[in-house]
Amino acid sequence: MTTVLLLMLLAVGAYLVAVIEDWVYRGHVQLSAPLIAGIALLGRESVVPRKPDRIFFETGPVLLLISAVLAATVIPLTPGLIVTDLATGALFFNAALVYVLVALLMAGWGPDGAYAMIGGWRFLGQLIAYAMLIVMPITAVAMRAESLLTMQIVASQSDIWNILYQPVGFVLFFVAAMALAFLPPFDLPTAKGELAGGVEAEYTGARLAIFRLGRLALVITLAAATVTFYLGGWHGPWLPTWAWIAIKILAVTSIMLLAGRYVPRIRESDLLGWCWKLGIPLALLNIFLVGVLALVFP
Amino acid sequence: MSTLEQYALLLGLTVGIVGFVLSLYALARAVGKTRKEAGKDVPASSGQLSRDPVWVRYHARYYGYALLFLAFDMEMAYMYPWAVVYKEVGLVALLDMGVFLAILFLGLLYGWSQGALRRQ
Repeated sequence: MTTVLLLMLLAVGAYLVAVIEDWVYRGHVQLSAPLIAGIALLGRESVVPRKPDRIFFETGPVLLLISAVLAATVIPLTPGLIVTDLATGALFFNAALVYVLVALLMAGWGPDGAYAMIGGWRFLGQLIAYAMLIVMPITAVAMRAESLLTMQIVASQSDIWNILYQPVGFVLFFVAAMALAFLPPFDLPTAKGELAGGVEAEYTGARLAIFRLGRLALVITLAAATVTFYLGGWHGPWLPTWAWIAIKILAVTSIMLLAGRYVPRIRESDLLGWCWKLGIPLALLNIFLVGVLALVFP
Repeated sequence: MSTLEQYALLLGLTVGIVGFVLSLYALARAVGKTRKEAGKDVPASSGQLSRDPVWVRYHARYYGYALLFLAFDMEMAYMYPWAVVYKEVGLVALLDMGVFLAILFLGLLYGWSQGALRRQ
């Protein structure tokens, strides 16, 4: 029952992400636009390039969707609403999202096209940049909650949210989450106007629809994770829990998408440099600060 | 739910998504088949086949970072269990991990000084 509910909420969430994306990049809200675009994609021809690695080509988009949905199963929405309350929840979240890399590499390698290939390899470099900035802030969150259970992590923030307790971790996680979802300015693997769509370039029709759906689900999952780890989940005054979580997730999504509009696309070497020379020292500092805080105010 | 049931549910979800995707493909297929036309299946490269093969070996110019990444990723495997028991163990845990991370961080600084942190 919860599973069905989560899948429906994910579908609604992905739809809203598409609407917000439209609003951010084109400046007008049209609620029916994603539906029309989706139907149009299903009606189009789904061309297969001439010498593909067929298994990789077909697996890429599906794996992207699977990885996003599996990561969403460990995110608690309201006190009882969680699909799998794994004891290793925060770790499982990471493990599921690593397959985003695998999916994009498959989508890049599979079609045997130059632009797709470059996009795929670029994302491998991007993973090396952002991956540490996903896991290290989550470690600091787990330190405070004394647990990897996501429910426990939300419960630990009932008085002070983690965004105040560990603001450095929040900023790092937020940026790394944007890089994971390859949102602008980190859209290196797709890079419209530079790689002709990159890993998306060879996909058309129904396959492209699945690829886009997977990406939208990924964005809403990451926004929900940001809310769970840093913004106190469903906690908040006056309003009921479901209203708070919905407001927070939509706000985080909007900020993630809006941020990309005003920043030019970053170069891969710059991204690697910034993440390793600034991000990782800051992430280690964050772990140390949280450690001291936890000892001083137990 | 027991842990085993939860993993079974995750497996079921995976299979379910594959089924959903396949049915969507079938729906798209029912609307109309892809017409076979010359030149349609050329990968996106201005309508011409690329001169060179695509599946070749690329120079991974971030290999300096990649090697450091391996060290840090291994370290994260220790960090998670440590983080869970951190408050219980207290100051000793902070010092233990502090020494470990300091050594690792020195490695990062050394790599940086030797030019590992740049596009090769």
